Amino acid sequence: MNPITEEHHFAAIKKGLLEFAVLRVVGSGELYAADILTRLEKTEFATQGGTLYPLLSKLRREGWVNYEWQETSLGPPRKYYRLTSQGRNHLDTLDRYWKTIDRTLLELAS
Amino acid sequence: MHRILHASLNHNPYPIEEDAYAHLETYLAESAIALANYPDRDEILLDLEQAIADQCRRRQPPQATAITLQELSSALEEMGPVRIDEPDSKRINENVTSAAPILFQQISQGAWICGVCLGIARYLRIDVTLIRGFAAALLLFSGGTSLLFYGVLAGIVPYAEIDPNGPPVSRIPAKLREWIEYLRGNIARLTR
Repeated sequence: MNPITEEHHFAAIKKGLLEFAVLRVVGSGELYAADILTRLEKTEFATQGGTLYPLLSKLRREGWVNYEWQETSLGPPRKYYRLTSQGRNHLDTLDRYWKTIDRTLLELAS
Repeated sequence: MHRILHASLNHNPYPIEEDAYAHLETYLAESAIALANYPDRDEILLDLEQAIADQCRRRQPPQATAITLQELSSALEEMGPVRIDEPDSKRINENVTSAAPILFQQISQGAWICGVCLGIARYLRIDVTLIRGFAAALLLFSGGTSLLFYGVLAGIVPYAEIDPNGPPVSRIPAKLREWIEYLRGNIARLTR
């Protein structure tokens, strides 16, 4: 499979997992949006601000992440995101579900 | 020579060249359309504005006075178009209010006899005391016919499931329910 069709075929999987990936990144500490983009940049989940900002807003509405305004040395205060306890539980559920899927796929191959 | 305008990004003024301003205006207008009907639309737009401002500043040389078209284009390319995932935007537009129909059932929890009156009260959304009072009056005036009617209802009206968080079932309703379910089981076996 050449890289272009590969990219095309995996787009749906990656799109579905982006939320999971963002929750994982936010779960690793207090981050602001640009930090999240940088963390994802070198992975399969590399994304853009145009996708991330609406997604963060959605995650906040679900009650999984929250933000805090923090002063910065340059420019206006920034929103620093972190997981809520509800978000932590949701991430644990996702982790378990992911392991189940992984196991199922392995079992189907045998 | 370039004309310099001021763009207000997340409530802060930024000097910007005229052609860059036009480009920025288009991007933000398209983003606003993409986010139409989206909750927190205005907040997301401010987030985007701030991110664009940060991106442009990073691209500007130290002595620069205004954002150029080249800097802005490169910043917007990095931002990418606003995308929201479909199920989420759909869910917001639908106003899901599915009310389950109220079933006529006997309610054992909190019942005095079989739970027929409780069932009627729930079905009609009336206080159960009124139903019980009415049933008692009916018993007095009908001379036993209503008792027969109660028996028929107790026999045929299905039972509501026991809610583990609900009130306990008293001894009489529990015993009666046991008998009725036993009878129903036997009848069902005979008619099969």
